[in-house]
Amino acid sequence: MRRLLLALLLALPAAAAAYDRGELAEFNDLYRAGQYEEALEGYRQLIAKEPSNQWGWYNAANALFRLNRMGPAIYHYSRAFTLDPRSQDIRGNLDFALRHTGQRLVPEGAPAALHYFYYIVSERELKALSLLLFWLGCLAWAAGFLLDGNKWSGPACRTAAAAGLLLLCSLAWLGARQTSAFSSAGVVTKAGGTRMLSGPGDNFKTYASAPEGRIVKILDTDDEAYYEIGLPKEGIKGWALKTDIDKI
Amino acid sequence: MRKNLPVLLALAALLCAAPARALLTVTAGTDRDTVQIDDNLYLTVTVSGDSASVPEPKLPNMQNFNVYSSGRSQSISIINGKITTSVSFTYMLTPRFLGAQTIPSISVFNGREKAVTSELTVTVVKAAQQPKPQQPAAPRQPAARPQRPSPAARTAAVKGERIFLKAETDRKSAYPGEQINISIKFYTSVPLSSNPQYMPPSFKNLISEDLPPVRNGETEINGTRYAYSEIKAALFALAPGPAQVGPATVIAQVPAQDQIDPFDPNFFQKFMAMSGAQGRSMEFTTDLVKLDIKPLPAGAPASFGGAVGDYTVTAAADRPDARAGEAVNFSVTVSGSGNLKAVIAPKFPDLPDFKVFDTMSSLDVRKDNDVITGKKTFTYILVPRSEGRKTVPPVRFSYFDPRAGEYRELQTEPVTLTVEKGGQAAKSVNFNPGNSGAPVRASGSDIAYVSDRTGRDSLPLLSGAVLSLPWWVHTGPLALLTLSFWLARFNRFKLANPLLFRFRQARSEASRDIDEAEALIKAGKTNEAVALLYDSFLDYLSDKCGLKVSALTMKKAGELIKSRFPKATERSLGEIRELWEALELRHYSPGTAGREGAGDLAKKYSLLLEFLEKELR
Repeated sequence: MRRLLLALLLALPAAAAAYDRGELAEFNDLYRAGQYEEALEGYRQLIAKEPSNQWGWYNAANALFRLNRMGPAIYHYSRAFTLDPRSQDIRGNLDFALRHTGQRLVPEGAPAALHYFYYIVSERELKALSLLLFWLGCLAWAAGFLLDGNKWSGPACRTAAAAGLLLLCSLAWLGARQTSAFSSAGVVTKAGGTRMLSGPGDNFKTYASAPEGRIVKILDTDDEAYYEIGLPKEGIKGWALKTDIDKI
Repeated sequence: MRKNLPVLLALAALLCAAPARALLTVTAGTDRDTVQIDDNLYLTVTVSGDSASVPEPKLPNMQNFNVYSSGRSQSISIINGKITTSVSFTYMLTPRFLGAQTIPSISVFNGREKAVTSELTVTVVKAAQQPKPQQPAAPRQPAARPQRPSPAARTAAVKGERIFLKAETDRKSAYPGEQINISIKFYTSVPLSSNPQYMPPSFKNLISEDLPPVRNGETEINGTRYAYSEIKAALFALAPGPAQVGPATVIAQVPAQDQIDPFDPNFFQKFMAMSGAQGRSMEFTTDLVKLDIKPLPAGAPASFGGAVGDYTVTAAADRPDARAGEAVNFSVTVSGSGNLKAVIAPKFPDLPDFKVFDTMSSLDVRKDNDVITGKKTFTYILVPRSEGRKTVPPVRFSYFDPRAGEYRELQTEPVTLTVEKGGQAAKSVNFNPGNSGAPVRASGSDIAYVSDRTGRDSLPLLSGAVLSLPWWVHTGPLALLTLSFWLARFNRFKLANPLLFRFRQARSEASRDIDEAEALIKAGKTNEAVALLYDSFLDYLSDKCGLKVSALTMKKAGELIKSRFPKATERSLGEIRELWEALELRHYSPGTAGREGAGDLAKKYSLLLEFLEKELR
């Protein structure tokens, strides 16, 4: 009985996937036929229904790339990458699109394997892992109190200590990821790029411009119409219209 | 002579080997040797090689012609597993100067070998004075021929504009994929001082295909002579709904004095060749052109893949007979007018008698008379599985005919192959036997194809489920941890102070015993009830004193109580003795314990408990 329940539980996502595949295949057929605008519309519907579906973002990015809309394509690839950083297709296409705009996925000088490991789990997965480790640590510690008494060498207490250590590691990893390129970041999606002003308003001087497709750091979101953005490579920051930038 | 024999033999061997290695070849040819200055000719460069792909030719810089790419067509043959590819690249050439013009050598290089064509010479003659009859093989050239000006141009001329730019489409409404021609004309009645800069329009819901060359000419509008340059493009709508052509812009330097005569026969050459800004810079833009794109009607056949236009379809194999296991090229060719680039391969029928390998497509586009025509060939490699007469069933292809406003479905004729028994060598298809040791070279890069996965991987699902829990759920483990910490401390305290807990619980245990005894009395089991009350009373006193009272005499027990609880009064001690004696008497003499007596004892014990709880603290 228990096995049957397990089998049913495992079969549920597969059945749901089979149901959705028809709709996705229809949009992919449009893409294959070169009807990128129509395919993009379909992929957008899919994203609206399932915002955490990385393949919706990825396929939409492909259609945008074919339509030569590089900024929105990089934004969609970035969203797909943040959801599923392990996918070789997503990584490959994001890197390809970034190279079209003079950027790289793997920073220059960084070993590709290290970069892959650093992004082997998404931020959501890392957060969920931290929460599960917190649960495991607390439950094991509670069991240690009740079962092992004062003995720290008991199995429950050892599990609690290991979970605590892993939790600290995952929190450190999560903290480090907060400073990475795709965290608190946005992509310039306006065709032709965006102006960087010295303040949040048109009355301030334009002193730089960020090209379309450029991944920028979002430093301040408080203003209604403007983001304060930073270009770490160039070491400059400025204010750009929120409508010109899509937050990853 | 004998001394030089090995050297001569080696040279002879090299001479013999050289033609054998010349596997990459390139040839070039034009469709005519003589062309008028206002006409075009087609240059076809054919590259052949022994691998699945051949390099694209590198065209030399040709100052004497304007060059436009006009498509490519590919053919592949596989004989005894050896692959031979031939790709024809077609270019449309527009002459710029009169006289004998040379097309320089064209070279191709595949990384190992280089091949070149010989030079070609074409004679360019003056344009005929009278309009020539329309030739099907060459596009109609409107240059140097008076044209009837468009109504928009006439309106501009009426307003007295000396220079203006107009964009017009040949229709305002079309189906997705139906060709719409746009003409952008730059009129000037004054000479310009420099080469004007043209910025093409942006398109919304449209893709464009150039219709070269740039046409130049002159026309008279309302009594004013204008020189004009016309750029044409074919547009294809992507989806039903509104579509628009954005403004095209020309920036021109308009001088104070005439510098280029607009009616000079070489006006355009001067017009395009001059550089350096002089005079006043002026910008001319066209108006926004809005188009209505109608949806395709319902009822498309199952084989419809989005093709719009007027097409025919044929199918053929590269030979009528083959051996089992040997590759045969099977081509399906879609010919006609329409956006051939968007035509997708027709669905291939199921072929149980053949293994079907990848599809290759080649495109050959012509732009004669400003109509996009040509053919697209989809080549499949079929490998017969067994001998006998094998038939490839008809391939269905359907398209939407915008003129008739209806779908049409075509099918190819069935193709029959005679398959003989294959030898061992023919059973495996080796696509590149001659270069098995050659390294793989990347010839380009592109994004990976779209995915048909649905994103329901277990890890993202699990993480999504965990993160979607409300925040307070995650305080659960902390609460549990706090509770277990308290319980553990409590247990340790309890284990360390057993007498204290027995002291605190004495009353509740005694009360429970009284309740149980009363139930026994009601059930008529008075002896058991008295025994229970007796044991309970002694246990109560033991728990309160911290010593086993049943092992003491009544007097010693009284002294113990007095020493442990100095505030205990004589009355309470007397009550204890009295109950103890009564219980002892009834316990050891069961006959004396009637139902009423047992009940009285239980009540008395209950009242004494209340009293003692106040004193034994």
